[in-house]
Amino acid sequence: MIRRAAFAVVAIALVMAACSSNEPPPPPPPPTQTTTQPPVTDTSAEDARRAAEEAARAAEAERTRLRTVIEEVVLFDYDASRIRTDAEAALQRKVPILRSNPGVRLRISGHADERGSVEYNLALGLRRANSVRDYLVNFGIDASRITTETFGEDRPVDSGTTEAAYQRNRRAEFTITSGGENLVSPGG
Amino acid sequence: MTLKTTTYGPTRVTTGLIMAAAVIVAPPAPAQAQQRDTAQIPPGVELETRYSVSGRRAVAVRPFAGPIPLAGAIGQISGIVTQDLSLSDRYQMFPVPADLQTPGPVDYQAWNSLNLEFLVTGDITPTADGFLVDVVVHDVVFGREHRRGTYALPATGAPDFRMAVHAVSDEIVQWISNQPGMAATRIAFTRYNEDQTYDLLIVDSDGENLRRILGGASQLQSPVWSPDGRRIAYTVSEPDGWKLIERNLVTGRNTTVATGSELFLTPAYSPDGTKLAYSVWLPGGLEIMEADLAGDGSPRRVTDSGGDNMAPTYSSDGRRLAFLSTRTGQNHIYMANTDGSGARQLTPPGRNVEFHGPDWSPTSNRVVFHGSARGPYQIMISDADRPTLQVRQLTTTGWNEDPSWAPDGRHVVYSGAGAQTDGLYVIDTVTGTIRLLARGAKLRTADWSWSMAGSALSTR
Repeated sequence: MIRRAAFAVVAIALVMAACSSNEPPPPPPPPTQTTTQPPVTDTSAEDARRAAEEAARAAEAERTRLRTVIEEVVLFDYDASRIRTDAEAALQRKVPILRSNPGVRLRISGHADERGSVEYNLALGLRRANSVRDYLVNFGIDASRITTETFGEDRPVDSGTTEAAYQRNRRAEFTITSGGENLVSPGG
Repeated sequence: MTLKTTTYGPTRVTTGLIMAAAVIVAPPAPAQAQQRDTAQIPPGVELETRYSVSGRRAVAVRPFAGPIPLAGAIGQISGIVTQDLSLSDRYQMFPVPADLQTPGPVDYQAWNSLNLEFLVTGDITPTADGFLVDVVVHDVVFGREHRRGTYALPATGAPDFRMAVHAVSDEIVQWISNQPGMAATRIAFTRYNEDQTYDLLIVDSDGENLRRILGGASQLQSPVWSPDGRRIAYTVSEPDGWKLIERNLVTGRNTTVATGSELFLTPAYSPDGTKLAYSVWLPGGLEIMEADLAGDGSPRRVTDSGGDNMAPTYSSDGRRLAFLSTRTGQNHIYMANTDGSGARQLTPPGRNVEFHGPDWSPTSNRVVFHGSARGPYQIMISDADRPTLQVRQLTTTGWNEDPSWAPDGRHVVYSGAGAQTDGLYVIDTVTGTIRLLARGAKLRTADWSWSMAGSALSTR
């Protein structure tokens, strides 16, 4: 039950991350000859143009996918900063992208549900953010690329008081602070 | 002096709430407790009387006397004193019959027939910059003056006018009950705003003079009063990191006490004001340090236990600390010497229980905190002399957090939500009386000042 809710949240977060990226739009594809040359009716040139547009779209979609993977939140158990199995899977998806994009810098923010105390939850949020940072560092990501911060219980994504809402709020969020403009795929 | 045959003592008993409350899961009943008849009590649950019968002395305040042109000020002063005595929750306040409101010599026989115990009268005379108030507490039962004092008050428009009157009220409480009052005090707290900023606010203990000290901070936590009431310590996160700040309210100047960690939280002054204990994030978690404000300010490590150690609070003699620790994996309140030695768990063990936000009484060995099994939280008290054995639960409805003792060792302020109006509440731990102090969502981590009567009161 909880697990399924968690996945639903991740899915929502993915969509939201994709939609709410505040990265400036990518540069338009390089101008093709059609803009500087008289109209050409050669079908092979038209195909090339379409192929280039398609490739640009695919590349942009891939950059968005990579960004979404990096920004995917990870969730925590109550009053815990241990990396769960589902969180580990999410982090393992990030590691190769971070390795192949050494210019990317990350800010990890830790959050808590409203139970505890305001001050205790600030410590818990920091503990969670640092726990995620330490995990990434263990897998070869340079610690100098990562900063952590805590918001405690003060920035819930769900203001409800059900366990499902609390689960959504017990999380670490990832923000690319620099180097996210031209993400490359781990294989490429 | 005429001695009457009336027996001296509480003549009137008002009944407070008497309730048996199931407290949180307690350890296996100790041998002593097993001798009781526990047949009706579920195993592992300790029952305890929450509020005891209280004898409250019957008191009246006769409207203070003075020159007619001062009638407005005189009415204010009488009104503040009357309300303060009422808010002290120590007295049954008697309305004054019309025929006894006239100034002049006190007709003890007439007052005694009302079954009154103490009568407060006052005479006010103007001075160059305010008033002199000559206040008398009469022992109606014995038909004589009990105590008398003369105090200077600033003009009604002066910023410290109400606090000076509150100081007189606390003198009256001391005379009648031989206990410290709490009228001349303030409460500091934070507000978390809709725009995700934090304010630092203060308010008088009667709910008046709500003021914003700092506003719009990106992070501001854990305000606490210095014993002299002139400074507030708190923590902030600024672009260059978290800091522990001490702000002088008189000069408005900030001093950075500690910086250079990922997180600072929960400072607490020692009762003599020379030390500031606080929690700081070290590799691995929060640990408690103690800064020497009188010396070179260099901090001394108090805890070194792993997990988080935070929210230190000094015992009234300044020799011990209570604090929150997760050293065993659960959130419990501990006590230790101020060097960290002799640590001992205060709160009772139990499955899924957790405790937060301790505050040590300024007048006793009682520690107030909030806790439960994973919320909603309630305000509770444990006795430092009987660790892990019992918990007294003060509140039952809503979600209540971050209690702080008044200097009278009797009242507690806390954040309450979910039951009625969200805001700061004051509970009288003796009678269970609860009043709303400040209304608003996300009013948090309130800290009740020490008495400010010393600086507010000038005796003539």
